[in-house]
Amino acid sequence: MQSFFQHFRMVLISTGFFLIFSCAQFRGPMYPEIIYNNKQPLVSVTYEYGEVQIILPLKYDSAIPDNILFKVYAKADTMNPIISILQEAPNEFRTTIPQGALDINNSTNFIKIIPQNENFDPISVRFKGIGFGRIVLPSKVIRIGQLIVSGKTYLKDSKETLSRVKISLQNFDNVIHSTYSNDSGFFQIAIPGEYQFAEHLRIVAGENLILKPYSKKLNFNNYRKLKIDIPIGPTKQMKGPLYITNKNNVQFREGPDIGSKILFLLNQGEVISVDRVTPGAYYGYIEVEIEGEKIVVMNGWVDRSDLRELNMNFIKNN
Amino acid sequence: MLNHIKYNLIFLLFLSVSIAQIKLDINTIPTEVDIYLDDINIGTSPIRNERIIPGLHIFEIKKKGFAPLKYELIVNPSQAVEIDFFLNPVHKCKFKTKEKGLIFELNGEHYWDVRLIRLDLESGDHLLRVFKTGSLVDEQTIRIDKPETFNYILKEPLTKNDI
Repeated sequence: MQSFFQHFRMVLISTGFFLIFSCAQFRGPMYPEIIYNNKQPLVSVTYEYGEVQIILPLKYDSAIPDNILFKVYAKADTMNPIISILQEAPNEFRTTIPQGALDINNSTNFIKIIPQNENFDPISVRFKGIGFGRIVLPSKVIRIGQLIVSGKTYLKDSKETLSRVKISLQNFDNVIHSTYSNDSGFFQIAIPGEYQFAEHLRIVAGENLILKPYSKKLNFNNYRKLKIDIPIGPTKQMKGPLYITNKNNVQFREGPDIGSKILFLLNQGEVISVDRVTPGAYYGYIEVEIEGEKIVVMNGWVDRSDLRELNMNFIKNN
Repeated sequence: MLNHIKYNLIFLLFLSVSIAQIKLDINTIPTEVDIYLDDINIGTSPIRNERIIPGLHIFEIKKKGFAPLKYELIVNPSQAVEIDFFLNPVHKCKFKTKEKGLIFELNGEHYWDVRLIRLDLESGDHLLRVFKTGSLVDEQTIRIDKPETFNYILKEPLTKNDI
């Protein structure tokens, strides 16, 4: 009986091995590795960005432009602004930009303020960014741009360059700023923009010369930059001998006699072309500028003691 | 006094680190897989309210039955970042043929020459090339999207049967 069970067990085990072996043959061998095709993984990345609010307080000096264009640049990119906003001149400029747009390590971000009025110059405000939150920048003053006069000084008769001539811009008789023309006769002088609408603004040139200084009223209503070439001395039409008045309020009379009609009172440095001479007076003519452009010749008499001979080679005051 | 300065410095350090950190959420399909961030196990997906700093990071995910995933990401400075990973499944397939004397090559690196074989194949396209006596006799692309049995007949498109 026991041997029967042993035999039966052997038969069962053999049958089991047979089945397993035959099934494995049926299923086939297993390839030893997983076969990947190195496909790019499918990944979705979503960022949530914060915001940076920028506040720039503004102040205006003497004049306010109607509109201002604000441009915000970041990371030293001067070509492509992050944002551009045109608005009426505000007391503070506010804008909000996305996180990460600004350079947070260096002050390479800037706001360009472009007043929509040619009397104002664009200005830039540099600042360092932050990750997110609020930046309040120091207040910025917006003022009218400088008024600039440039040109050259030359002798009226020969058109030759005249160097080292003192130039000043004056309001009434107050000198706002002065300079000298350089060795080539060129000069450039600038004063604050608040004088743009001053009614008694003028340029005076040649106060360091023995000749009467050149003076011209300035009008900056339309332009902030003026180019004025300044002629100094008599014109070519004035023939020698030439004399100049040696003091102010010199009488320019109709006749040589004391008591004859006074045509003008001449200032110091006025040039007279002398025709005739008497023991006490010289007869000649002067040039009078009318309305700043036209020149008229006037004849008359001047006391001899009020004149001295003019040498055009030595016209600078000592 | 020294302690006061020390605490202030620690607070400032903590403040700067907290400001620089970005909230990180990770989702995966399938869920409940271990996520490794820069070789550190940060938990099982879905991951919520983890912190990460801007810069380059490496994410690794391994799960049986799916192709392992390794993903490099430069995290931008932001408030939060949410990443969804879709794992590519591996399917159990069979490949059989009645042709004799053929050598099969898959993706240029896996070879067999038996007439019946079981394969674990990543979902997607695989390139099958067939050689006979050293010469290329057939080439075709197999698309795997479920467990299947492929029956190969020389120079004919593969036929498929579901397992």
